[in-house]
Amino acid sequence: MTKDETRNIVDSLHPLEVRLLLAFEAGKAIDDSLLISRASVEQAQKDMAIGWLLAKAIVEVTGETVERIVALTEIGERYRDQKTPELRIYQAIKDNPGVNMSGIREREDLDSTEISAAIGALKDKGIVRIAQGGRLEITDESPLSEFEDIQILISAVATLGEVNLSELSQGEQVIIEGLHRKRGKAKGVFRINEKVSRTYTLADLGAKVHAEVLQRGKPVDEISQLTPEMLKDGSWEGKPFRKYNITLPPPRVTPGRRHPYKEFLDSVKDKLVAMGFEEMRGGLVENEFWNMDALYMPQFHPARDIHDVYYVKGPKSAREIEEPFLANVSKAHYSGGDTGSRGWQYRFDVDKAKRLMLRSQGTAVSARTLANNPKVPGKYFSIARCFRYEQIDATHAQDFFQIEGIVLGEEINFRTLLGLLELFALEVAKAKEIEFLPAYFPFTEPSVELHVRHPKLGWMELGGAGIFRPEVTIPLGVHVPVIAWGLGLDRMAMVALDIHDIRDLFSANLDMIRTKRTHWL
Amino acid sequence: MPTISIKKKDLESLIGSSFSPQDIEQHLQLVKGELKGYDLKSDELKVELSDSNRPDLWCCEGIARQIRGKLRGEWGDYPFFGSNNSKKSGQIIVSADMREIRPYVGGFTATGMNVDDEMLVQMIQTQEKISEIFGSKRRRISIGIYDLSRIRFPVHYKTVPPEAISFTPLGFEEKMNLREIIKDHPKGQVYGEILKGMERYPILVDSRGDVLSFPPIINSREVGEVQAGDSALFVEVTGLDIRLVLLALNILAVNLHDRGARIGAVEAVYPYDTGFGRAISIPCEFTKPLNLSLRDVERVMGERLSMDAVSGLLGDYGYRVKKQGESLEVTPPPYRDDMMHPIDVCEDIAISRGYNSFKPVMPSQMTVGGLSDIELFADLIRGHMIGSGFQEIISNILTSKEDILYKMGLGEEKAIEVDNIMSISYSVLRHWIIPSLMRVEAASTESFYPHKTFETGEVAVYDEAGNLSSRTLMKCAALISHPAANFSEAHAILEALMYYLQIECRLVPGDHRSLIDGRMGWVYAGDEVVGLIGEMHPRVLTGWDIHMPCSAFEIELDKLLRIYKVATS
Repeated sequence: MTKDETRNIVDSLHPLEVRLLLAFEAGKAIDDSLLISRASVEQAQKDMAIGWLLAKAIVEVTGETVERIVALTEIGERYRDQKTPELRIYQAIKDNPGVNMSGIREREDLDSTEISAAIGALKDKGIVRIAQGGRLEITDESPLSEFEDIQILISAVATLGEVNLSELSQGEQVIIEGLHRKRGKAKGVFRINEKVSRTYTLADLGAKVHAEVLQRGKPVDEISQLTPEMLKDGSWEGKPFRKYNITLPPPRVTPGRRHPYKEFLDSVKDKLVAMGFEEMRGGLVENEFWNMDALYMPQFHPARDIHDVYYVKGPKSAREIEEPFLANVSKAHYSGGDTGSRGWQYRFDVDKAKRLMLRSQGTAVSARTLANNPKVPGKYFSIARCFRYEQIDATHAQDFFQIEGIVLGEEINFRTLLGLLELFALEVAKAKEIEFLPAYFPFTEPSVELHVRHPKLGWMELGGAGIFRPEVTIPLGVHVPVIAWGLGLDRMAMVALDIHDIRDLFSANLDMIRTKRTHWL
Repeated sequence: MPTISIKKKDLESLIGSSFSPQDIEQHLQLVKGELKGYDLKSDELKVELSDSNRPDLWCCEGIARQIRGKLRGEWGDYPFFGSNNSKKSGQIIVSADMREIRPYVGGFTATGMNVDDEMLVQMIQTQEKISEIFGSKRRRISIGIYDLSRIRFPVHYKTVPPEAISFTPLGFEEKMNLREIIKDHPKGQVYGEILKGMERYPILVDSRGDVLSFPPIINSREVGEVQAGDSALFVEVTGLDIRLVLLALNILAVNLHDRGARIGAVEAVYPYDTGFGRAISIPCEFTKPLNLSLRDVERVMGERLSMDAVSGLLGDYGYRVKKQGESLEVTPPPYRDDMMHPIDVCEDIAISRGYNSFKPVMPSQMTVGGLSDIELFADLIRGHMIGSGFQEIISNILTSKEDILYKMGLGEEKAIEVDNIMSISYSVLRHWIIPSLMRVEAASTESFYPHKTFETGEVAVYDEAGNLSSRTLMKCAALISHPAANFSEAHAILEALMYYLQIECRLVPGDHRSLIDGRMGWVYAGDEVVGLIGEMHPRVLTGWDIHMPCSAFEIELDKLLRIYKVATS
């Protein structure tokens, strides 16, 4: 501990700490009550400041004693003013010879249990007896001094407020022990509180701090909180500001903040917009037509089953499907229509196409965009909430975001498809090593899977893409090639957020949401 | 799509070379397969096949065939195709009443091999994957395999009343009639649905009247139980679509041929037209050649390929190619029927050459990016709420009535509900967001107070007049929770938000069962309700097990955006 460090500590002491330290003498112990009286502080102030000094290892506890402190209870205070029932009853019998129990009750403001207890006590000591007809008679006055001693003790304790039990005489201690409120007993004259009294000495560090404090002498009037009044009347001038210990932890605040996963989605959104993609939106509820048929998924496709998607309970069907798309798409399924395809060659069921469902893939949004006069050339994306009929577990949530989009243009072909994916790999996953794998999607041909070497995850699938089949684009009125792409980014988000259960992306745990730190950039 | 188990040794012997698992992983690209695992001890490879239109690849033989062709240029010689005139091993006679029930059937014989345990396992796996996935759980096609030695041709494919015939089905000891099989046999219970409502059921019997099977439900135990050691088989497929029936038979025939069997043709004779005539000798090459021009290929691939290159790549992938000037006539192998459009052939050219041999080209056409108005508006509000000290939340949209209605003190309301419920906890789309924030509140009673949370997000509301009977809306809700949370604090936040949005709002006292009476207001902009605000009712808080006062508001962004546009134009 250098001199400077000691000074820094002293500089940051609270005025109460300084007052306590000034009450210490080097090398000597001091106890709580002495500390309070020497430093002339309140008990609570002493408690607070000694706590700080102990925490900073400036003082240490050298001893601990338990004191039993005696005070009056409410009953005790009443007896102090009105005397004990025994003395009052004795006096009443003396003043009204021949009085009986009910006579006492009429005269004295005491409840009947008190009266009978007191008469019982007087009788036991042989001071009073109950004669014929319930009349009370004084038989012997001499044992009464015992009750007078109690009365004196009550007055003494009342005067002192609190008395250390050990400071009283043996006889007094016996009286108090006999009359204090015991656990479970409602009434008692004295209350005994146990109080821990500690003794302290200066610790090693404290000795240096103490010397410095002594050297500086009594603290002058330091400014703690600067107030508007001080600024107004200039009273701050010439006074020192108490130095704070700025190394102490501050109170906790909870700032307003984006959701960490939303922050990630925002960054993806920003990147896509920067790459020239325009946002498209769609509804949470779709019909099978836009979710599947328009994407050339045949109506008997294995993924079009009650075990794959969620259907809507009621109404079950869309009123209508927009023309000419219904006619075009059903023809494409049946015979290829004018798409150059032989089609799936089955009878298209319009009722099935109308069936309402919860959107199961973001491509549904793309299909609607294609049918709605898209720009050519054009680039679109959506971050769409989708629903699948799946057992919910650590890798499946009941709903999730799909990041999907399309690119329309005369220049679109297999190589520009690969070029776009390369761009995604670099921009979204910062991956320079990539691999393209053959893939299958019902609505694209050729189809490709994009694998990248992620800096943390190693080789992973980043997305899937392909060129929409003519059976998709032509019936929707689009006559240029169209890339359909989708990115699977949840795994990247989970790694960045250090979570292992996909359900935690939508966690309800506020503490987790508030404390997650992100590093997307 | 299907995941299959095959033995590495089996695959290697069918290809004719051995590989490391890494090699296999690489070669699986040719079949759009992904190696899911390899168990050294059992020598078992787990392979997931992604192409739902290539059932020929959902088996060890098919994977081996595609890899062998590419690596060694060896394509099996399948002499039994195109031998329509040669000797038939048997006949299936179809009766006219099959037309309305399950119209198509076909079959072939396989002889001269020895069915061993591994072959049997693979055969059953292939049969199951094809009929379950490609055959839509046996509805569109189902497959039966029998011990040929117990069958006397011709086989009859006909209908009978449900109680007219009894036989012992696989897995049972005693004879059952068809109605009993549907009712009591496990397969009948699963697949009986396919025959629902029919008064007569399909049956396959041989010339002596012995039952082969009750398609598509179950084989007879006597004839239709193939065992290791059998050396001659009869394979049949029945179904609703003739092309699928023929395709499945072709796949099964080449698979058996690849394992050394001699395939014998069986003729199916129909009293009605099938699209392929009334008598079809099976296996049968039924797919038509496609014409492909080099210009088509160039347009799709973005690269000029020579005639020889295209023809070589397709040849390596199993096609027969005829060059015709600048065009090619390509015929896919008879076990494939997934060429609907010339574009499908282009993908095979790319796969055959290897995707990574194509140099990526960046799309260069200029486009302007941007967000939708509602997204921009939502972002504006998110920014404001965050600046006001609120923590953003994102929640699931698929939730329960318990959360969005009952726990909120509300009664039945029309909501967007799921028909095929998996779990009651995920059975309805939320129509408002405050319940999502209450869920967070209920889960976060241990988290440091005060809590100030908000969410902007989608909800779905019932819309009687709409084509889809629902509308997707964007809403924003905010919730404040701490020992002194009250109306005024929420009101102050809302007021400040509306000030910056330049939207004139006023509160009109109202009733809402989630909120305390006399401390609830509807948020009006003009004469339109755009939201609500109030102190959460203690009964609602208790229902959620929340022990802290909460106040909240919720506003509709679609309506506010419309007003905002007018106000700021």
